[in-house]
Amino acid sequence: MIYLDNVSKWYSTKKGEQHIFSSITFEIPTDHNIALLGSNGAGKSTLFRMLAGSEYPNKGQIKTDATISWPVALSTGIHPKMTGRENTRFIARVNGVQDLEEYEGRVQNFAELGRKYDLPVQSYSSGMRSRLAFSCCMGIDFDLYLIDEALSVGDKKFKRKAKRALLDKSRTANILMVSHEIDEIRLFCDSAIVIDNGELTFYNDLEEAIMVYEGE
Amino acid sequence: MAKALRRSRIKIWCDVIFALLVRHVGSKFDDKFGMAWAVIEPLLFILMLSFLRGRMGGEESHGMPVFVFIMFGMLMLRAFTDVLSDAASALRKNKSLFAFRQVQPISSVIASAIFNVIIDIFVFSLILLFMYLMKIEFQISDMLTILLLYAQLIMMGISFGLLFGIASTFVRELDKIRSLITRPLMFISCVFFSLQDIPEELWPYFTWNPLLHCIELSRQAAYPNFGAVGVDYSYVSIITICVLFLALACYRLTWKEVLSR
Repeated sequence: MIYLDNVSKWYSTKKGEQHIFSSITFEIPTDHNIALLGSNGAGKSTLFRMLAGSEYPNKGQIKTDATISWPVALSTGIHPKMTGRENTRFIARVNGVQDLEEYEGRVQNFAELGRKYDLPVQSYSSGMRSRLAFSCCMGIDFDLYLIDEALSVGDKKFKRKAKRALLDKSRTANILMVSHEIDEIRLFCDSAIVIDNGELTFYNDLEEAIMVYEGE
Repeated sequence: MAKALRRSRIKIWCDVIFALLVRHVGSKFDDKFGMAWAVIEPLLFILMLSFLRGRMGGEESHGMPVFVFIMFGMLMLRAFTDVLSDAASALRKNKSLFAFRQVQPISSVIASAIFNVIIDIFVFSLILLFMYLMKIEFQISDMLTILLLYAQLIMMGISFGLLFGIASTFVRELDKIRSLITRPLMFISCVFFSLQDIPEELWPYFTWNPLLHCIELSRQAAYPNFGAVGVDYSYVSIITICVLFLALACYRLTWKEVLSR
């Protein structure tokens, strides 16, 4: 379970404070694979980043015992001047991976970067970068994976592989996913949270949530 | 599978700072000179300046060899300004890393400070070696005081850097002002001259600067007959404690805001 306890989040902008969430109290179950549905700007990414601990609510707090991944969006925390291997080691150290060498090898295998693994990331194509980021995340055991459009990159072959890996994960661990591809969501998720006007609603049945979301 | 360990908080802090440090070293020295440049550059600079100063004012300055005299000034000044600018830019430069919940903004500041201390130790040892080989006579009679002064200098650098770093996430222009402010420090901190060389009625315009106190006191600690006047050790300590407190207080109040900007 992840408890959102009276959470408020706002950003101060030139046009005054922009409230994303105000005093939300909510429980996100961690025994489901959940899709996060909502229109653009509804606060999906903000919620994501708060769950990941990349940002904090202005008021209230988020409590959980589960280990949560970082948002596997673009190339979070990947330094362009360092090699793929060095980046992997950095991520491993930060996340407390015990066996660096073994983890390194696994990421190398999964990302299929070949010799490029030992070259600076700035020489990678954007697809290769996200392959690296995705592999780094998949290589660590979390209770909950935050997947943010991560499957939309990489070539066809890698996409298939990533999907398979993520499906495996969805059985052993859980996934919280943001995607606008309804097919993808149907594949991985069994329930959903719809964000509308700063309100969260949990639907145990994914189809019901999709109906609500698309009906809006 | 790689199990993410459940670590104690202090262990996470150590791991993160170590990881940042390794990353810092890797990304800072990726050209051919590599790490050596960080050590050679200040050495060359001190050599050049002491050569010029030696031309102007003879071989000795208040009972110290000119080289040693300038070395204390330059090393202290560099230690301060480097730590300050690195600490100030650490918040913005490592922004993408704060996506990892384990990486807190202040850990990147601490990592950059540790990195600078390591460089300083290298530079200092190399200069000592250089002086030994060049047969420049030198004495350091009270190393402990010098180390204490250095430690306070670093703390001041971190604190001012943190303050600037936090402030510039809100007002970006402050970054430019910072480099504008730190540049004249070289001329008002008694790097080339001693406070004794300046007429006494001008002292109030100089002695507010804690860096000047650090430099003069470190010379005094190395050469007891240097005869530093107008400087005060406790002034350094009080300023250090005050800015450290201020910086940590500001950090504690604003770090969540810093993350979401």
